[in-house]
Order: sequence, then structure tokens, then C-alpha cells
Amino acid sequence: MDKRRIALDVARILLKHLPQELSQETIEKIAAEVISLIEGNSSDDDLKRRLAVLTVIGRNHSGIVHSFSEILAENNVDIIDINQTIVHGNFAMMMVVDPTDAKVDFLTLKHLLKERGKREDVGVFLQYEDLLKELNRM
Amino acid sequence: MSYSRREILETIRMTESEHFDVRTVTLGISLFDCGSQNPKECARNIGEKIERYASSLPSTVDEVAEYLGIRVANKRIALTPISLVSTLPQKESYIEIAKEVDNVAGELGFDYVGGFSSMIEAGFTKADHALIDAIPEVLTETKRVCSSINAGTTREGLNIDGVIKVASLIKDTAYKTRDKGSVGCAKFVVFANAVSNNPFIAGAFHGVGNPEVVINIGLSGPGVILDAIKRYPEANLRELSEIIKKASYKVTRVGEIVGKEVSKKLDIPFGIVDISLAPTPELGDSVGEVLMAMGIETPGAPGTTAALALLTDAVKKGGTMATSQVGGLSGAFIPVSEDAAMIKAAHEGHLSLEKLEAMTAVCSVGLDMVAVPGDVEEDVLAGLIADELSIGIINNKTTAVRVIPVYGKKAGEIVSFGGLLGDAPIQEIRTISPAKFIRRGGHIPPPIVSMKN
Repeated sequence: MDKRRIALDVARILLKHLPQELSQETIEKIAAEVISLIEGNSSDDDLKRRLAVLTVIGRNHSGIVHSFSEILAENNVDIIDINQTIVHGNFAMMMVVDPTDAKVDFLTLKHLLKERGKREDVGVFLQYEDLLKELNRM
Repeated sequence: MSYSRREILETIRMTESEHFDVRTVTLGISLFDCGSQNPKECARNIGEKIERYASSLPSTVDEVAEYLGIRVANKRIALTPISLVSTLPQKESYIEIAKEVDNVAGELGFDYVGGFSSMIEAGFTKADHALIDAIPEVLTETKRVCSSINAGTTREGLNIDGVIKVASLIKDTAYKTRDKGSVGCAKFVVFANAVSNNPFIAGAFHGVGNPEVVINIGLSGPGVILDAIKRYPEANLRELSEIIKKASYKVTRVGEIVGKEVSKKLDIPFGIVDISLAPTPELGDSVGEVLMAMGIETPGAPGTTAALALLTDAVKKGGTMATSQVGGLSGAFIPVSEDAAMIKAAHEGHLSLEKLEAMTAVCSVGLDMVAVPGDVEEDVLAGLIADELSIGIINNKTTAVRVIPVYGKKAGEIVSFGGLLGDAPIQEIRTISPAKFIRRGGHIPPPIVSMKN
């Protein structure tokens, strides 16, 4: 029996035993969740979170970390991890951030950070972590 | 930190500073349901089908590229070879279709469309004849439409009558586009053992065994390989092979992610990643430079073929591991005009046509973007094509010829095409004639493949 059939059957059984006033919408929602459960996709929020990596590289001067964390905070982007160092007088900061609940979409956030980069005279790179994960981990 | 500093900086270095891009996301579309004996209607059906499947691809690709922080150079479409789409088999039908396809693809934001193609390895259909007649006009009057012909395979042998026709259409196209350096010829390629999922232009087409629609990825990445090799000037060749494999793995992995992501967003199945190293005329993005970094003074020197063989093989080995399915041509391209170091070598007379031909026995395709004098005889051109295709047929590999007999130019001059197509030095081609052999016409039978000596 295919997974969809199982899911619909489960929804039908639930329907039989649950109160009558269940809407079509609720039934479909139950079915969808059961399907995703059977297919092994957890609806758990944490698993849906897609992290991004923000890298800032350039000439060192004071206040760079503050400058960029300000934008992140203003837009409700969570900093998961941060690493900052000076290599031969050059500033390098790498942050793992969570843009899932950001007030702005990813491309706008990228634009805001890049603009700030121009003001601070540093290179700014924001990318979802997919590339890093796939290039460096088997 | 979940990623090390080195990992992050290396990734940024690769994507930002080594000319790295994904060369193309190519959408393959089947046209088998578009046929009509009324050519206008057939053209309209094809246009509508392209719109239906392709309209959101360009913006989706841009979005994915931004998300991942990489560049995608081109968006392309590969169609079922038009000669297989049922319509009235006359020249005008195919010109009508080509113009419609060119318009629709342009409006949607695509760079090229491949598939104005015929498979004639075992002979011609009426449609093949009509389509071949239409090719020079199509290449002249459209901007994006690319054409290819498969004239031979290991299983069917080589259609010499087809090769003669191809030589003639190349000359004709060169003349028709003479005011632009005969650039029409850059949109045409003749193959032996053409592959049906090649995302690269000019030879892309959506082969018969393919699904309704499919996403294929073509890589670039000589810059990344070059950078890796330059870091180890003392490595021996065995170590060098390992270094290339690792770099190729990374380049291919990027293609794999882009393909998967675009496929998911558009709900179109993901086909293959073609792990060919595709150069651009920019300095540092050249397969010729990779050969030089390996230790060859200039491409064309004795040892070039061995170095290219090592490179192609290592690229394949590294790339295969990085993608769920390798396909297309996969190896290293050696287009002369699109590669700074190859241009220089050819211009200085170090890289002869004959040496290039030898290199094609181990590279991923064949004689590519080679410019020859405009007054080259048709039979000589046919001889050149027959030689190149025979290498592929005997060795069970894809070979091809994309040659531009530049109208009005002589050996030693340079023609400039601009953009990805670059600058081509006009190369000397021997004028001694194969005419009596070629003009016998007919078919070279398929080779026996069990006696591999």
C-alpha cells in the first residue's frame, strides 16, 4: 500500500472517532502531517532551520563586529556562533547565523550587510551553509 | 564553531577569487508532443511548451545562486533534436521553428538554445535533409539557436556523405556571417558519439531517452584547478593527480548543490552534472594555463597530450564522487579561442592543428573553436572533420569539430568574437587534398571494438 493511501486511511479513522465539527482543512492538515511522518520528514521546527554563514574580511579597525551585529539584531537574526581574528593586520570574522525568523528576506539581508560592508570598507559574504557543508564534509 | 576558519576562508576564496562559476544550468525539454504538419502550428506548440516549463527558471537560478553565494554564468535550453519533431519536412518549416524558439528564449532570459540538430550517423531522413539545408540561414538569422549534427557513432560508423554536407554548410554559414567574423560557425558543431544530456553549447540537445523535462548542470572551474596545482609546484605526478581530484570534487559538488536546489524549487527532475572544465578567455581561467602550471612550457609542446590525459582523468575521478550522476561530456575542454593560453600558443605557432587533433584523443570532446583561413577547400574541411570523428568512433569516445573558416582572413591573422567566445588566431591548415577519398562518398563501416590495439 502506498504511503498516501495509508495517510488518508489514518485520517479517515481519526475522523470517525473525533468530533463531527472538524473542517475539511483540519482533516487535510492531519493527512499532510501523517504523510510527512511516514516519509520521515519531521515537522520539528529545528530541522527546518537553515543556517547561514556571514564572513567579513578586510582592514582592521574598531567597531566592525558591533557594526554588523547591529544589523543582525535589528532584523532579528540570531547569532549561533562567532569567530573573529586578526591575520597580518587583516580583520576576519566568521559568524554562523540563523535567518529563519528574520524581519527581512535573505536577499534583502544580504544587501543590507553588503551596504554596511562598503561603509566599513570590508568584504562581506553571506551564504547559506549548504556550500560549506557539501564542500568540506562527506 | 561548526566550521573551521580554514574551511570558510577556502570556500570564500574559491567562489570569489578564482573565476569560479557554474557555467550553465540547462533545461532539457522534450518536444515529442509538439508536432504538426502545419509548420506555423508546430512552431507555436514548441514556443508554448518552452514558456510553460522554462519561464521561471532564470529567476529561480539567480535566486539559488544568491542564496549559495556563487555565480551562474548562463541559462540554456536543450530541445529534442528538431529533425525528430514531426512537421512538414521542408527548409522553411525549420527556419520558422528556429525563429520562434529564438524569440521565446530571448524573452524569457535564456542565453542559448541547443537542439537544432540531426542524427545522421546511419543515413538521412527527409527531415534531416531539410533541416541541414536550413542550418546556415538559422545560424545567421537567429541569435541564440545552436545546431549540431551527429555524423558518426562507434556502432554505426561514419556517414561520409553527411560529412561532405556538413563541410559545405560550415562554409556557407561562414560566408553568410562574414561581416561578424563568420561567427555563425561558432554555434554549430558536428559530433561522433554525441551524448544526449550534454548541457554545453553548441552541442546541447535533449536526447530520445530523456524524461519530459530535466535539469542538467555544466561546470567551469579551470581557475580552481589551476590555483590548487600552483600551490604544489614540487608534487610528483601521482600526487598532482590527487590534488586535481580533490579540487575537481569541490567544483563538482557546487554543481550538484545548484542542480538539486533548482530542481527542487522548480519541481523538475535533476539529470546530470557535466564535470567538464570549461575555460573562458579571462586570464587565470584557462585549461592551457593548467597544463603550463603542470610543467608544460606552452600548450603544444611534446608532453602536452600526456599532461592533458592526466588532467582529464583526474578531473573525472574527483568529480564522479561528488555528484549523484555524472553525464554529458565530462573532462577538459580545449576550445582554442575561449582559452587565453591556447590563444597565445596557437598565435605563436606552437599549437598546430595536428597537435590539437592528437590532444582530442584524450580530452573530453574535440577540435573546438578552431579558426582556419576562409578560403579552405570544402574537401579539406571534410577531411579534417572525418579525421576527428574517426578518432572518436574508433576509441569509443565523443569527438567533435567546431571550426570557423573565417571569411576573408588568412593564417596568422586574428578574429575577435567577444564574450565567452573570445579571440581566435587563424590557424594554418594543410592544403594537400583528400578530395578523391572524400568524394568517393558513402559510409565508413563501424569498427570492430574487441581488438584493442
